[in-house]
Amino acid sequence: MTLMETTPQNVAPDQSPAPAPAGTAPVIVTEGLTVGYKLHRERKRLTALRDISLSVNRGEFVVLVGPSGCGKTTYINAISGLVDPWEGTIEVNGRQVTGPGPDRAMVFQDYALMPWRTVESNIRMPFEFQNLQVSKDEIDERVRRYIELVDLTGFEKSYPYELSGGMKQRVGIARALVSEPDILLADEPFAAIDAMTREAMQSELERFVAKTHQTVIFITHSIDEAITLADRVVVISFRPGQIKEIVDVNLPRPRFDYDVKMLPEYVELRDHIWRLVKDEALQSARGEKR
Amino acid sequence: MSTIEDSEGVATVDATDSNRIEDTEFTAGEAWTLYGSWAVTVINLTIFFCIWELFAWSGAINPLFLPAASSMFSALWEGMTTTAPPGAVISGSIRDHLLYSLTNLSIGLGIACVIGIPAGLLMGGNKYVETVLSPYVWALASLPRIALVPLFILFLGFTVKMQITIIVLSAVFPIIINAWAGVKTTEKSLLAAAKVFGASRRELYFKVVLPYTLPFIIAGIQQGIGRGLIGVVIAEIFGGSKGLGYLITRSADTFNSPLMYAVLFLLVVVSLSLINITRWLEAYVAPWRRIDML
Repeated sequence: MTLMETTPQNVAPDQSPAPAPAGTAPVIVTEGLTVGYKLHRERKRLTALRDISLSVNRGEFVVLVGPSGCGKTTYINAISGLVDPWEGTIEVNGRQVTGPGPDRAMVFQDYALMPWRTVESNIRMPFEFQNLQVSKDEIDERVRRYIELVDLTGFEKSYPYELSGGMKQRVGIARALVSEPDILLADEPFAAIDAMTREAMQSELERFVAKTHQTVIFITHSIDEAITLADRVVVISFRPGQIKEIVDVNLPRPRFDYDVKMLPEYVELRDHIWRLVKDEALQSARGEKR
Repeated sequence: MSTIEDSEGVATVDATDSNRIEDTEFTAGEAWTLYGSWAVTVINLTIFFCIWELFAWSGAINPLFLPAASSMFSALWEGMTTTAPPGAVISGSIRDHLLYSLTNLSIGLGIACVIGIPAGLLMGGNKYVETVLSPYVWALASLPRIALVPLFILFLGFTVKMQITIIVLSAVFPIIINAWAGVKTTEKSLLAAAKVFGASRRELYFKVVLPYTLPFIIAGIQQGIGRGLIGVVIAEIFGGSKGLGYLITRSADTFNSPLMYAVLFLLVVVSLSLINITRWLEAYVAPWRRIDML
């Protein structure tokens, strides 16, 4: 893959690290966000996230880390408009979120590709559902361009079941990027992908968003993945999820090319974040008590 | 809006042919794994009929109960190619009875689909419809359909209407239940994805739920064919003067065992062909669910 061939020398210096465009207001603002689910059988309600206040700037890559069951997914679902908050507010581009919108796209852990649609047709899906003012030719051109971006040229007419996990997720990423939304939400997108492919996918994602300047909220429970991708890592505590600490990551980009894992800062960051989540992880591992 | 700035800059990935699809040789071994089971089946069946033939010739069993395979096939051939001579005990040849039964089966299955598919989809999609209809569906689905035959003979007499009613009642429930289950089991993440990318309620139903449910519906029709065929035979055995079921009882009554075996054989062939058509249809509309083992 090309990633291996890209050496730090041929990376233009203005690409690294990607600075957030100056003077822009935060794109996503959540204020006192509390969300949860109703457990109808037990006549209880489960608070997944409590009092989350976070603002994300334009072009920023924010990664949420936390143990399983800490409500990370709930946060992304709330921002995407799939779940209504119990308390607090979510604003995207200064507007209250009331449901899904074309300014936000999502990448799913289980890819969520329509199995009856070809690669091309899956990527075309956002144009079909959202009434964007884009001409037919422009759509064709964009679909082609994003298939090329995720290196799936030649697989346009393939069905998802004919692809590997990594390829499926590249379709998922292309589908999320093709309508060129302001915000990309990614819910553990690489969790089901094998370790080697995952590393390659991480650096590819970094490359994609460096090109498209999307604001990204990315969920993972891998600390390495968090540090490899993030401008800021938000550490979430075990249920109900609350922000434990926000860690700035000022490592050079593209991180794969700079081999950031060898840097002492990386090791320090990793250790710091691990200390933060250690107790939480143990608590989560012991059992998901409600 | 964030955009890709230059279209040339995007093509940084070298499209090497290392991971592209290419044509390969087709070896004899691969041909065997693909088509070998066909050859085995042909040989297997040939041996089966040969043993049957020899067994019948040996005279161990009265030919009234077990005629030779050859006489069954000749009865079948005769029945399918000629019309019955005037004054024969059984009016019409196998061909006419087959046509009659298949016509009723198709009408019955057609009605079962027209009722069953929308009913199942509605039950899956709407909680109230589900709550109201499900006790009736489960009650009628679990009731042995044969128990209803006397009732419908009482209502409708020994008519085609009665026979088609039995066929519809036999076939409709697997269709309803499968369509219902398909809607209910539609993957949540597919629905979430469609919602995130802006699908309306209508689009969710027509572009996610319905395509997801389609293979379930076909599986339902497949089961419906099997049940419907049982319905055809039951209805004709109990109250009819035409059709394959009637032909079975009539040939038994007249001690024409080759004819009876010919009809039984024909029923197997009809059933298997119809089921294979739906299986092929399922593989065609839902290749992602294809099961190569069966």
